[in-house]
Amino acid sequence: MAENATAQLSGTGVAIPDIGIDPSAIISALLLLAIAYIAVRIVVFLLGRLSERAYEHRITVKMAIPIAKLAIYGFAVYHILSSVVQLSTNQLIAFSGLAGAAIGFGLKDLVAEVVGGVVIVLDKPFQVGDKVRIDDHYGEVTDIGLRATRLVTPDDNLVTVSNQRVLSQTLANANAGSLEMQVVIDLFIDSSSDAPKAMRILREAAVTSKYVYISNKRPVTILMRDHPFYSMVRARVYVNDIRYEFKFETDVTKRAWEVFKREGIEPPKAGVVDLGGGPAASAG
Amino acid sequence: MPPPFKGEMELIEKAIKDFEEGKRRNTAVISDPFYGESELLEWVWERTGGGALRVKAGSLKEDFEILERSSAKIAIVEEAHRLYLRKIGGFDLMDRFINFVSSSERLFITTWNSFSWKYLDEVLGIGQHFPMKIELPGMDAGKIRDMLLSGYEEGELNFVEEEKDETEEPKILKRSSFKISLLGERIEIPRPEVDLNSIRSRFHKVEEKRPPMEIFFGKLARISDGNPGVAELLWKEALDYPKVRDCLVDLPSIDLDLDDSFALNVILSMGSVDLADLSEVLEPVGTSAERAAALLEERGLVFIDGEVVSLRAEALKRTAEHLRRARLVW
Repeated sequence: MAENATAQLSGTGVAIPDIGIDPSAIISALLLLAIAYIAVRIVVFLLGRLSERAYEHRITVKMAIPIAKLAIYGFAVYHILSSVVQLSTNQLIAFSGLAGAAIGFGLKDLVAEVVGGVVIVLDKPFQVGDKVRIDDHYGEVTDIGLRATRLVTPDDNLVTVSNQRVLSQTLANANAGSLEMQVVIDLFIDSSSDAPKAMRILREAAVTSKYVYISNKRPVTILMRDHPFYSMVRARVYVNDIRYEFKFETDVTKRAWEVFKREGIEPPKAGVVDLGGGPAASAG
Repeated sequence: MPPPFKGEMELIEKAIKDFEEGKRRNTAVISDPFYGESELLEWVWERTGGGALRVKAGSLKEDFEILERSSAKIAIVEEAHRLYLRKIGGFDLMDRFINFVSSSERLFITTWNSFSWKYLDEVLGIGQHFPMKIELPGMDAGKIRDMLLSGYEEGELNFVEEEKDETEEPKILKRSSFKISLLGERIEIPRPEVDLNSIRSRFHKVEEKRPPMEIFFGKLARISDGNPGVAELLWKEALDYPKVRDCLVDLPSIDLDLDDSFALNVILSMGSVDLADLSEVLEPVGTSAERAAALLEERGLVFIDGEVVSLRAEALKRTAEHLRRARLVW
């Protein structure tokens, strides 16, 4: 590190700080970042594998992934600043000025995303493994990175949303760290059909499913709403693992309709069901 | 060698006395499969002077009216969990029974499989119809020892340690590998794997300093999970009078997919189930009962005797652990 902190830019008379970082320090810093990156990949891989073996503790184990990433990268940056670069007070001031200018001009979005990532890790509006809706995207959170959050949709699309955007949007979290989540199953029947019987069948289809989870806090609720030409029966019931959400819905619907048909419960006549946010959609 | 039911007998005695004084408290005796609660019911029946109606719930499927026809003031219903099947329409008989229990003036003393009880309590809220709930607890090694040795003199039995082959000591670190795809190629990368069973067995080596009898019953309590019925079955296997051989082995963890786990759950909830009933539960969800039963038998978790699939007693603990992990048992 150079002792002479300032130098005159020849011909201009403007004093710019000579932060005196030699190439070896830059190489060391880059090397350290590379090691941190590899360490993060290894930790993410190991924790990911461990979480899948942890069955009911899967989401709890996955919670550790973003924290571990933040800790590793945080330690790497701290180590670069304190040990590799070894900034003096003047250098730190100069560095802060440069960093401020960089953030102000070009990197403000990146910094906002990184800060957003830190806020998500600390505030935990969701965790890796949760099912969330961000913007119009719904899926399982697979990664909370420093810059962006990734989720996999039911169609197996990987959606990447910047952390800054995640925090500025209204966020819906379906399970909030639990392995179970509520699933809403709507079945529409003709208004001349026996609705109470349909409710009983739907309830039994739900509680006998291999995917169901029931407890005092996670009860099964069956609702009904009558419309001029059809009735809607709705089950609010919890699936034992968020990954089975759609299989659960399919299983209950399929078995309920098999019995509906046997019991003479008919589907509505074609064209009478309003699925587009009408009163049917808001029942219960 | 029935398990000691002193506390439970007192509770049932109190329920009967209260009933005689006009306060009815229907009783549910809840236990894991194999526990041996029928001995308790035998005592209850004798306590009533043989005047109680005693039926197996399975027989109510054929003739429910037997409950209505009987004039007995106390009804003992064994294995009441057999009144439901986990399928649409499978709760009708249970609903009828619960309605009968609620509206009747008789005292009902019933026994339930603990796994079915928990399920039915969440689904049908059966707990509210049985104000007196007696959950039969797991027994520690000392109680199991007292129960099993009650018919023997001190020193009559000789507890023999199995000779261990030191050369076959399981290694803590095993060689394993995982496969990754790189540039379209499947590459196998070797990695060490920690054998938890080996670590566990090394911890248990400390036990070798204790007397063989103490080691045996400690192990028996652990493997049976304190279930006296399971402990007794394992005891019979180990007993080669007058020798008791330490042939108890921890079963490995169970690894099954969800369909087979669900089939196992149905069997666990009943203890044993007819293949026809198992089919009625599994066919609508697209699983073959025969195939599932055969696979579970191959894994040593159940055995098939004719048309009946029964849980293996020694697999009870591992089965319950697996199903809890899979969140099929809550």
